[in-house]
Amino acid sequence: MIRFASFGKAFGTHVAVTGLDLTIEGGETVALLGPNGSGKTTCLKAAAGLILPSSGQVLVDGIPASRPKARQSLSFLPQKVAFPEALTGLEVVEFYRKLRGAPAGRDREVLRFASLNGASERFVGTYSGGMVQRLGLAVAALPDSPVLLLDEPTAALDPEGLCAFYALVEKRKKQGKTVLFTSHHLGDVERLADRFAVLVGGRLAAVLSSTELASRLAERGVLRLRLDRRPENLLEALRPLSPAATWSGDELILPGPASGRPALIDAVRAAGAGILSLTADEGRLDALYSELVGGKE
Amino acid sequence: MTQSPFLLCARQELLLAVRSRWTQVFAAVFAGLSLAVAVSGYTLSGGRGVQDFSRTTASIVQLVLLLVPLSALLIGVLSLSPERGAAELLFSQPVSRRSVFLGQAAGLWAALTAAQAIGFGAAGAVIFSHSGSEGIGGFALLFAGASVLTASFLGIAAILSAGVVGRRRAKALALALVIWFVATVLFDILALGLASLLRSGTASRVLIVSVVLNPIGALRTGALLALQGTTAFGSASLAFLRFTKGPGGAAMLLSGSLLLWTAVPFVFAVRRLEKADI
Repeated sequence: MIRFASFGKAFGTHVAVTGLDLTIEGGETVALLGPNGSGKTTCLKAAAGLILPSSGQVLVDGIPASRPKARQSLSFLPQKVAFPEALTGLEVVEFYRKLRGAPAGRDREVLRFASLNGASERFVGTYSGGMVQRLGLAVAALPDSPVLLLDEPTAALDPEGLCAFYALVEKRKKQGKTVLFTSHHLGDVERLADRFAVLVGGRLAAVLSSTELASRLAERGVLRLRLDRRPENLLEALRPLSPAATWSGDELILPGPASGRPALIDAVRAAGAGILSLTADEGRLDALYSELVGGKE
Repeated sequence: MTQSPFLLCARQELLLAVRSRWTQVFAAVFAGLSLAVAVSGYTLSGGRGVQDFSRTTASIVQLVLLLVPLSALLIGVLSLSPERGAAELLFSQPVSRRSVFLGQAAGLWAALTAAQAIGFGAAGAVIFSHSGSEGIGGFALLFAGASVLTASFLGIAAILSAGVVGRRRAKALALALVIWFVATVLFDILALGLASLLRSGTASRVLIVSVVLNPIGALRTGALLALQGTTAFGSASLAFLRFTKGPGGAAMLLSGSLLLWTAVPFVFAVRRLEKADI
């Protein structure tokens, strides 16, 4: 549905993105992650036809993104939207509805969806920052387009906007639509994305599916045990299964994948210790992310 | 029925311009000054009452040449270079950048012309009620010229604004003021200065070219020609008439200059916008 083919973009001497090859299939929800200045917004804007590639190309449904026809398939929500302050919310939505050729009546629907139906006759100049962003979300929700592009969608949203945003993305996912978004909120990423592309310094550093991510996080899990006694040579017996096994106060810390935990428990019992309490933590996404971006956040 | 993006953008820009304080201030100032010129012109020259259309038109030309380019440049740059988030949302829609941009410019032109119509209309109504309709043709022609001059300077504003978003607007605005100063004041001084250093024949040619190269000069010369014929002309202007083989040729050349000054900037602006990263 969206294809970055050797896509590169330079602004003067600054190279924002280089040699990006990434395909987002129809029906996928993909998150673009990366530190500030890693090229996430550049990629999204190129897919929205706002930025022309310096090298390679960006195709939406096989058509170069810079052509208006390609943009018929997509709806884009910038990181921070702005509207003329002298227009009412309804006038803004009506204008974009007509521009997209969406059916009449759709404007009231999306204003209700963005919880702006009570403020639709007010001038945008009287809106709060959160309301303006919700108006942006309403405009993005206007067309029933196959692709939704969202740049840091939750960064400027108020709680009502967040609810509307999650509802929109989850609805589009259920409908089999494609969603490509950037975010710094790893919670959003974990909740919504099927796949994660990590950009570092304008290059693709990693692409992980949600299954691969779950397994990578599980590998980074930790088993914590409290025992009734400390048998001699327990750590030596456990290190073949968990090389970083160690004591932290009265807690036995056993890093390692979830799949190895039954064997560790068996080994503890075989050493003659009774288990008083057990907790297992999965690996944290932020730790994995920091590892992937090499501490460049 | 789907409306054309050009018309949609033109209508939206017209609505915005009508609600804009800048346009309202321009309309009020222009109307106030036009009325003041009509009413006080005689008083200043020792007479009493309201001037007729011919005298008011002659007095109002300078007002048009100063205010119309300034308003078109400033309001044009402010309106055609949107804030970052607004530009991104607008240009990510499935319509060509050209339709959006030209539509906005058309709406803005309509709003500014309407603001001028208020000024001309207010002065015209007072003059008509006091002095009758004699000379109304020249007055109407000046209004038409002001409208074309608005389009020319909106074209220049379009070049300055094409693809400009966010903080770069301030730079475009500063450049607009520099262009206005050069076009209204400096250009004539430079042309006259250069002509004074040259021999008579060459100096005349420099002045003829300077009239065509500056839309303000073109409108000024055209207005004087329409109002007072050759009686108001100096030797350089008479040389201009000789060059154009009479008033008809002069009118065509001046109209051509103004039309080119409208079309060419928009062509450049659209080309610049189509290549711009938003």
